Amino acid sequence: MAIVAQTTRRSRISRATLAWIVGLLFFFPIFWMVLTSFKTDADAVKPEFLIWFTPTLENYANMTENYDYWRFATNSVITSVFATVFALAVGIPCAYAMAFRPSRATKDVLMWMLSTKMLPAAAVLYPMTFLTKGLGLYDTHFIVIMVLMLINLPIVVWMLFTYFKEIPKEIIEAGQMDGVNTFGEIREILIPLAWGGIASTALLCFIFSWNEAYWTVRLTTTEAATLSKLIEGNRAPEGLFFGRLSAVSAAAVGPIVVLGWFCQKQLVQGLTFGAVK
Amino acid sequence: MSDRRLPRLLQSPAVILLLIWMIVPLGMTLYFSFIRYVLNNLRRPEWTTPSFSNWRGWGNYDFVLGVKGFWPAAFDLAIPLALIAVAVIAGGAALKAYLDAGPRDLVRRARAHLGLGHVIAYFMLALLPMIGFVFFFGDVSFGTGKFWLAMKNSLFIVGSILFLTVTLGILIAVLINRVFPGRGIVRVMLISPFFVMPAVNAVLWINMILDPVLGLQGLAVAGINGVIDSLQTAPVVGSFFSLWPDLEPISFRATQTSAYAVIIMVTWQWTPFAVLILMTSLQSEDQQQKEAAILDGAGAWNQFRFLTLPHLARPIAIVVMIQAIFHLSLYAEIEIVSRGNGNKNLPYLIGEFANNNIGAASATGIYAVILANIVAIFLLRMIGKTLMD
Repeated sequence: MAIVAQTTRRSRISRATLAWIVGLLFFFPIFWMVLTSFKTDADAVKPEFLIWFTPTLENYANMTENYDYWRFATNSVITSVFATVFALAVGIPCAYAMAFRPSRATKDVLMWMLSTKMLPAAAVLYPMTFLTKGLGLYDTHFIVIMVLMLINLPIVVWMLFTYFKEIPKEIIEAGQMDGVNTFGEIREILIPLAWGGIASTALLCFIFSWNEAYWTVRLTTTEAATLSKLIEGNRAPEGLFFGRLSAVSAAAVGPIVVLGWFCQKQLVQGLTFGAVK
Repeated sequence: MSDRRLPRLLQSPAVILLLIWMIVPLGMTLYFSFIRYVLNNLRRPEWTTPSFSNWRGWGNYDFVLGVKGFWPAAFDLAIPLALIAVAVIAGGAALKAYLDAGPRDLVRRARAHLGLGHVIAYFMLALLPMIGFVFFFGDVSFGTGKFWLAMKNSLFIVGSILFLTVTLGILIAVLINRVFPGRGIVRVMLISPFFVMPAVNAVLWINMILDPVLGLQGLAVAGINGVIDSLQTAPVVGSFFSLWPDLEPISFRATQTSAYAVIIMVTWQWTPFAVLILMTSLQSEDQQQKEAAILDGAGAWNQFRFLTLPHLARPIAIVVMIQAIFHLSLYAEIEIVSRGNGNKNLPYLIGEFANNNIGAASATGIYAVILANIVAIFLLRMIGKTLMD
């Protein structure tokens, strides 16, 4: 028995070590980017594995000068927040009706909504540019918000539907007895009860909107351009300015990575549409 | 208000918005794909505006494929599709036979997870196009070759990413499934890459990690060369090591390697997703069954093969299909790595056509829709099954 205990202990230690190594390896590129963002441009391109150096905040200070970071960041915040708010405003009533007043068509409607998410964006690239330019919406916040909202709407409806389904119907029906109308029901009973689910849906929708890189790049030039556009616009020629580039990149992904840590679990539900438990 | 009208009214904003979003642009793509529509053409100015009088029929589809007429085109499409189908069926059958060959009681337990065979066939469905294309079509190009090259790159990139993320995902999920000190921190570190914006991912990897001179790759190669050099001048062993060559760093922006750069960076980003999903699924594994198997004397490998792997079949299939849909429309990474040099996929080709020849861009778009739908139908069916329980 003693031998068995010893070997299992040894294997447990080696497993834990391996797991730590894997975790550190996956995190390393992000760590390296953050580290580089504190180096001067000269230090950042030194051909050596530089870990010890005098850190500087210069790159973050220069961000506005060289990249106009704040305009892009403001656009990202505006478009992601409004896309999330609108998606919830449209999605909550829809999911409410599907969860508490289901009809025979509910399942088909949900499946059809998901199928819109699976259309390749590139297929409608030109019609979208044609339409947005024709309607004078090209490079406006409005079109970016609308597109981000429509991209995320299926996920939002689906996640809300699965959360709402968990709420006992009796509670909602009790509200009807008391003579509350539908919007009162949603506002005073449903939203407080499903608050956690709604919050995590919103968080996930915000993250996906922030990271969206196809439409935000293709439907904007300057006015409504988001951080994706900023990064994509500054690729190759910046080779000698790793410090600055890292600072902008770190500032672009930092908040989202931290938010992401809080909604790991919802990610599974949101992206697999509840098909994995 | 009546019982039926209210729910419909509540659903209508979402439904109408999505209906417009889907039908209007797609309808326009369909229309443009059947007419001559070129943005800049001085010789034929009438083609620069969309109109039914510029009807071209299947011409754009033929032009994109590089062959003329329905039958040659159908034949060209049918050969690769038939080969893929054969590979999928053979691969699925082989895998099922492999899983069925084992101690009888364990096989019976594995069978308890329904539909294993066809779930694995789904997996192969996404995986094998890559193998099929690389082996059968290596450097063959049809007609103009543009479309087939883009199709091949699409499938090669998606297939490779799927293979790597699923394999790594299973290994890592099993590794961190047991409790160990600092598991929470490791999980947070592992999941982080998924939340990095694609553009940042590409800029970070191509400039700071894969760059042959300034990136970590260059530093690592220089470091290894330094070690080799010092071994070569060492007193006793020097003569042995003198035959070792110096390593050359790889340039990942080149035509031959740019697809691998994309595969590496997307794998880094999406492996966490596979880990997260497979880990979630592992937590619902039947522990009693596992204990019974251990009492029966099943070793660690047999437990994995007959209990864990069948349990993971369904989540694996879902990971594969969701990733296939996402990666078939990869764009930012390809643009940033090499602007389509050597790794041009279907979305990128559409983007290039859309600079001038809208008809061709639209026809390519319709092909892309068909390709994505093949995967989406299977995925929707699987999701639909879990919908109402």
